[in-house]
Order: sequence, then C-alpha cells, then structure tokens
Amino acid sequence: MPKRILIVDDAAIIRMKLRKVLTENGYTVAGECANGLQAVEKYKELRPDLVTLDIVMPEMDGLETLEQILLIDEAAKVIMITALDQRDSLMTSIRLGATDYIIKPFEDERVVSTVQKALESKG
Amino acid sequence: MDKTHKVDKAIELIARISIDRASQSFSKIIKSGAKIELESIFYSDVTALTEEAISLKDEEVIGAFVNLAGDAPFRFLFYVPVPASFLLADLILKNEPGTTKELDEYAKSAVQELGNILASSISNTFAKDFDIKLKVTPPVLVTDLASILLQEYIINAASGKDRVLVIKSAFKVIKFGLETQMYIVPTAESERILSYLENFL
Repeated sequence: MPKRILIVDDAAIIRMKLRKVLTENGYTVAGECANGLQAVEKYKELRPDLVTLDIVMPEMDGLETLEQILLIDEAAKVIMITALDQRDSLMTSIRLGATDYIIKPFEDERVVSTVQKALESKG
Repeated sequence: MDKTHKVDKAIELIARISIDRASQSFSKIIKSGAKIELESIFYSDVTALTEEAISLKDEEVIGAFVNLAGDAPFRFLFYVPVPASFLLADLILKNEPGTTKELDEYAKSAVQELGNILASSISNTFAKDFDIKLKVTPPVLVTDLASILLQEYIINAASGKDRVLVIKSAFKVIKFGLETQMYIVPTAESERILSYLENFL
C-alpha cells in the first residue's frame, strides 16, 4: 500500500510541486495544508505516514507545528522543508524531533531520497 | 582608507555576496538563464526616491514584501509585472510557458515563494558569513501599480527617517526577456548595521 504523505506549505506552488514529485514516485498525498494550525488538525484526522513541513508560515510556524504534531504522535515522521539554510533553525528542528530536512530550492531527487530514507527509518 | 569608506566597501561586499547567493537560488528554481545582478547601492532622500517611484511606468505589478528581523533589520521587495508572474509559475512547475493565463493561486504563490527563497538566501549569507542573525517573516503579496508599490515600500522601510540606504538589483530571466527589480533597504534601525561594521572594521 502506498505511503500517505501530508504536505504543509503556505505556497500553493510548492504544494503542487511536491504533490507532483511524490505522486510520480508512488506516494499518496493524503492532504495539503497552508499553515500550521490546519496541519495539526489534519494530522489528527489523517494520521499520515509522513509530513513535509515548511518552517516560515503564517498563523503557526513550522517549528511550533512540529512540536504540536509530536505531542499528538511522538513517532510522527516529519521532514522540514525550508529556505533557511542556517545551523540554528536546522539544529532546532532536529532537537525538537524532526526526522530530516530539505533546503529550498530543492531538486526532485532530493525530495524522493529524503522521503524514502525517512519512511525506512525507525520512528 | 577612512572608516566611512571602509564601511561603504563592507556594505557593498555583503550586498554582492548576498545577491550572488540569491541569484544562485533563483537560477536553481527557474533554470532558464535566470540571474540577479547588483545594480547600485546608494543613500537617498526618501522624498527623492518616492518622486522617482512616481515616474515609473504605470503597469500593474505583483510584489512580495518580506521583513528580515533581527540583528540588522531589512525590508525586502521584489516585484514583477503581473503577466511575468504567469511565466514564473510555468517555469517553477516545469510547464510549457504560456500555460498559466491568469493571476491564479499558482502565479501569486510563484512570486510569494520567490520572495521567500530570495530573502532567505540573503538571511543565510548574513548568518553564515557575517554572524548577523535575521529572521524571515512570511512574504506579504501586494498587487498594485509599480509606482504605488514602490512608494509604499520606501515609506515603510524608512519609517520616519529622511534618508535610506538602498540596495537595488536587476532580476532577469534572459531567455524570456523578463527584467525587473529587487530591493533591499535597511529599516530605520539601519544604524545598527553601520555601527556593527564600524566596530568590526
């Protein structure tokens, strides 16, 4: 059964790009959200196998969303996707419990390999 | 070389490196001979700048405003004529140019996401090379006449000051003849970066 992924990003074009890459590579997009508040609710409802999560978003940013999702499910697999290639934000993501991260702009292959690796990792 | 001259050179160096990184990110997204070049760095009276903005060609543009908050706060703006946002959406989504025909959510978010990625590239340069931490806020999209958009941006960035430092860059997608502008203006607290550099040099 294809793994189900929840895409969270405030930019519709990035959600579309991720949807395209993931579905072309055999994954199912369980849902899409434009901010952290929606993402927490969707996570409860859909219980996806993995979440791709943008960091800079309105309403609730990606780091707070990550914390909220991990409170719901401590084994949640979350890949942070961010244009901020800075040690502080990346280390904070990993310390909070993110499985991995991808820096924007990204290559499609990087998305696929990171998702695959995260899904194979032990929660 | 006197201290003021050294500070000016340092600003130019930081701007060049930042714009260069932003240009690399831009090329990676667009993949069509895209580049950003530093055009000029200058101090200007806010009145003169707003008057210059009024003289801009009256075309409808869509712009992304981003605040870079932190050790040396900046306001960032990049804008394109509305039809150019259709092209940017097609290039990002790897669609045939001409596929997007209206200012739909993808055209809008192409500008939004470019604003985010370009401003983040600048923030990354400040953090990595100069240890200046800047937090990027989510881009705010505005559609208006170029003259109005630019005036609003300058007045906001100046926040009451008479003079501002302007870092102006040209934003080009050569193959499709798209050329527009990207601006970085330190906010009224720009003295902080200048005094930071003065202490550093």
